[in-house]
Amino acid sequence: MKQNQTSPPRWALRFFKWFCNQHLAEAVLGDMLELYIRRRKSMPKWKADALFVANVIQFVQPFAIRGKSTPTLNTFDMYKNYFTIAWRTFLKSKGYSFINIVGLAVGLSACLLIGLYVKHELSYDRFHEKADRVYRVNMELKFGDNHLNLAVANPLFGETAKIEIPQVEQTTRLQWYGSLLIKKGDDNIRERNVAWADSTLFDVFTLPMLWGNPATALREPNSIVITESVARKYFDRADVLGETLTINNTESRKITGVIKDLPSNMHFQFTSFVPVVEREDALDPTWAGSQNWNTYLLLKPGASEVEATSLLNKMVDNHLGPELKSILGKTLNEFNSEGNFFKVSLTALPDIYLRSSRIGELFGTGNIQYVYIFSAIAACILIIAIINFMNLATARSANRAREVGMRKVMGSMKSALVGQFITESVLTCVVAMLLAVGIAIGIIPFFNELIGKPIEISLLFTPQVGGIVLVLTLLVGVLAGSYPAFYLSAFQPVSVLKGSKSSGGKRSVFRNVLVVFQFAASVLLITGTLIVFRQLQFIQQKDVGYNRSQLLTLYNIDKLGNRTESMKTSLLQITGVDKVTVTGYLPVNFYRSNESFFTSPSLEVKDMISMQKWTVDDDYVQTMGMQLLEGRNFSRDIAADTSGIILNESAAKFLGTDQILEKKLYRLENEQTKELKEYRVIGIVKDFNFSSLREQVKPLAFITGLNDGGMTVRLQAGDLTQAVTAIETKWKSIASDLPFEYSFLDADFDQLYKGERQSGNLITYFATLSIIISCLGLFGLATFMAEQRTKEIGIRKVMGASVSGITTLLSKDFLKLVVIAVVIAIPAAWYFTSRWLQSFAYHTELEWWIFAVASVLALIIALLTVSVQAIKAAVQNPVNSLRVE
Amino acid sequence: MKGTYLGEFEELVLLSVGILFDDAYGLAIVDELEKQTGRTIMISSAHKALVRLEEKGYLKSKLGGSTETRGGRDKRLYQLTQAGKKVLAESRELRNEMWKQVPKIVWEGGKL
Repeated sequence: MKQNQTSPPRWALRFFKWFCNQHLAEAVLGDMLELYIRRRKSMPKWKADALFVANVIQFVQPFAIRGKSTPTLNTFDMYKNYFTIAWRTFLKSKGYSFINIVGLAVGLSACLLIGLYVKHELSYDRFHEKADRVYRVNMELKFGDNHLNLAVANPLFGETAKIEIPQVEQTTRLQWYGSLLIKKGDDNIRERNVAWADSTLFDVFTLPMLWGNPATALREPNSIVITESVARKYFDRADVLGETLTINNTESRKITGVIKDLPSNMHFQFTSFVPVVEREDALDPTWAGSQNWNTYLLLKPGASEVEATSLLNKMVDNHLGPELKSILGKTLNEFNSEGNFFKVSLTALPDIYLRSSRIGELFGTGNIQYVYIFSAIAACILIIAIINFMNLATARSANRAREVGMRKVMGSMKSALVGQFITESVLTCVVAMLLAVGIAIGIIPFFNELIGKPIEISLLFTPQVGGIVLVLTLLVGVLAGSYPAFYLSAFQPVSVLKGSKSSGGKRSVFRNVLVVFQFAASVLLITGTLIVFRQLQFIQQKDVGYNRSQLLTLYNIDKLGNRTESMKTSLLQITGVDKVTVTGYLPVNFYRSNESFFTSPSLEVKDMISMQKWTVDDDYVQTMGMQLLEGRNFSRDIAADTSGIILNESAAKFLGTDQILEKKLYRLENEQTKELKEYRVIGIVKDFNFSSLREQVKPLAFITGLNDGGMTVRLQAGDLTQAVTAIETKWKSIASDLPFEYSFLDADFDQLYKGERQSGNLITYFATLSIIISCLGLFGLATFMAEQRTKEIGIRKVMGASVSGITTLLSKDFLKLVVIAVVIAIPAAWYFTSRWLQSFAYHTELEWWIFAVASVLALIIALLTVSVQAIKAAVQNPVNSLRVE
Repeated sequence: MKGTYLGEFEELVLLSVGILFDDAYGLAIVDELEKQTGRTIMISSAHKALVRLEEKGYLKSKLGGSTETRGGRDKRLYQLTQAGKKVLAESRELRNEMWKQVPKIVWEGGKL
């Protein structure tokens, strides 16, 4: 007992006993205890303890450690020997080593690239200093049969929240401006990606300003904040604060700030910002009306998102109530009891890019689904590569069984053998990883083009990623080496040396399971590829309700002013130009806001239809190649057509099956005066897809009028370039001050499915890769098996077996495995691909033959791989194989 | 010769072992050195030197003489070997020889 009170910390004692050698331990410990007891008389326990620990630590020196177990030099020699043996094994079987290393390296490089891609996708908007406190406001609306999920809110949402809700520290809004024409010298250059922004933009987002004051930059009308690269484009330098830009030929804007270029991992990619103060409707006090501002809230530190959301919902209810009363004559409760609602939710800033795809997102968003898919593919490829490694190593165990037996007889412990095999496999992995990094560096430009992202290879060499790569290398090495290591080191030396284990584990169930898994993964990927491509083809060929080829869209029409009509007439004179329509409403642009129409002038919610309202001219339907199902097109000769309206099929269906033509529709023109506009249905146009094929066609209406957002020209089949040149010449003669800009509608259409196409390409490449790696492994295995059975084959041939018989014999075992793999893979493939297809409202059907093709493909590839070796073995002269012993 | 070189600290340790005679173990040697030199000696450096000197063959050791005050643990008692005695003597000889060669004038503070 006495000793307990006077004894130093136990762990220090134990630690000392652990590291110190036998020669010193007893005596030194005695010395230190004596010193400790002496110290305890003159100082408190803690101090004596601390000094004791210091003493112990001072002894961590070679003289005290060495000699405890095996001397250090000896272990070094052991490792040196591991490496020597590993190297000799490499050289002895170059073919296997090559398959091993190349297979692993290719797999690893695919993993590295996918890893970088995933990292990039996950990094969106995380760099903002306040990223964890910024939320985007979402509005979910339901009224009548309309149900909308919006990424936008009403104009005063943010400001009101800031005033009324204590958790909200700051707010800012963004809205697309569209594009600006900026004068450089005598030319006008189109600057796309311009946004309206509140002056609080820089309080919420981290957009470092190089020149200018972030607090005031977006306060004054006619100011503009541009990025560094825009500045360089127009001035060849970046410090352009206070300079003036001439915009759209007439206005001028003063540069009040130059910000750094937006990083590529940000959910909006604007290059210029103009102040919201110029917009009168930005102060529109409506809550039920127009929802068209992307609104961001910065919450106070520590504020809870859940709490803020419920307060925001209360706030909306409070403001919505009076407004509904005045427009619809209903209280909020009455409105809600009919199943209608306005619901607010928040999306955290870093989630916007990957986890939100609502109506009104600023830019196309990513898809978390693809991140998962690609991560899974990377894992698959890595596992296939590791399996190769394990399979080859265990298969070759026969050749090494004697070595193991010999080592055991000479006194090697199991742990030492495990160490040796693990060292070998880690070494292979290190070589493979070096090769993989090389491959990744080589193909990253190609990869970037494929995925359309600027991923830099330098990311690989950041400490974080570098660390992961290092850990991955070791992990793969240990993982891939562990099975062979334990398998081989467990051999009984007696049986091995006697020769009974030399069959190389012909009956290795484990190895067969691995091969099955490998091929199942390959079949899965092949099926996935086929389905993705069929869907892409389906999109290409689907009748979208209009004819998108040979349509040329011209821009800058809004700047033409009174020259629009003459431009249209003179374009029509060009040979090769069939039809011309003036409107910015084209079926390839994403979001336009819906408007509410009512079937009765009393504006009952139940009579409401929410649909897009497109302002087009009377040439539109014909130019686009759309089809009128009922009624007639607009005509400029009928004055009453200014209140005519053409509905699409969906809208007509929505309104019911009875007589649609001549039906009256009403729209609230002005909330204050309650002024109504009456429309009369004059025609029904066949449904056409005007947004992504992921969505059903929604109700839509055409009204007639002038919209100068664009001019679309239908060209006759023939020499398109010549027609375009002729149009350009005409353009220059009428509007020499404006740049001639155009695009083909089918190209714009393809652009909508860029994401799908990129993913399709990526999946193809990775599927091919995984098959190649699987085949490499299978090839190695087959070679080995043939080698193992050389004698058997020789004897069989002597006994009269035919070449084809032997080939079948050798291939059969492998093919059985592949068949099992196919059986396992098909349900899984069916499950995943049908889920993916369901994300499209319009999609191709899953047909049985797709799975059949994938399976047969896998079988053929496996057969080819195996039979090369099998035939080689079968045609050999039995004399050669039987002569040697 | 490399093997016979004796550092100053090593020499002091050897001498301490001599002084302590039949109770020359780690802590006692540390105490003796601290008393004689007035320096603070780390217990680990003393042991390190002892191990080295034993390896060089100047000391030999045995376990024994445990006491209550050291948790009943044995001491490692050191003793000078013949070689140890010889190397101390040689070292002293060398110094004396060199002392003799220093001109008297140096000690008397004369100027050249």
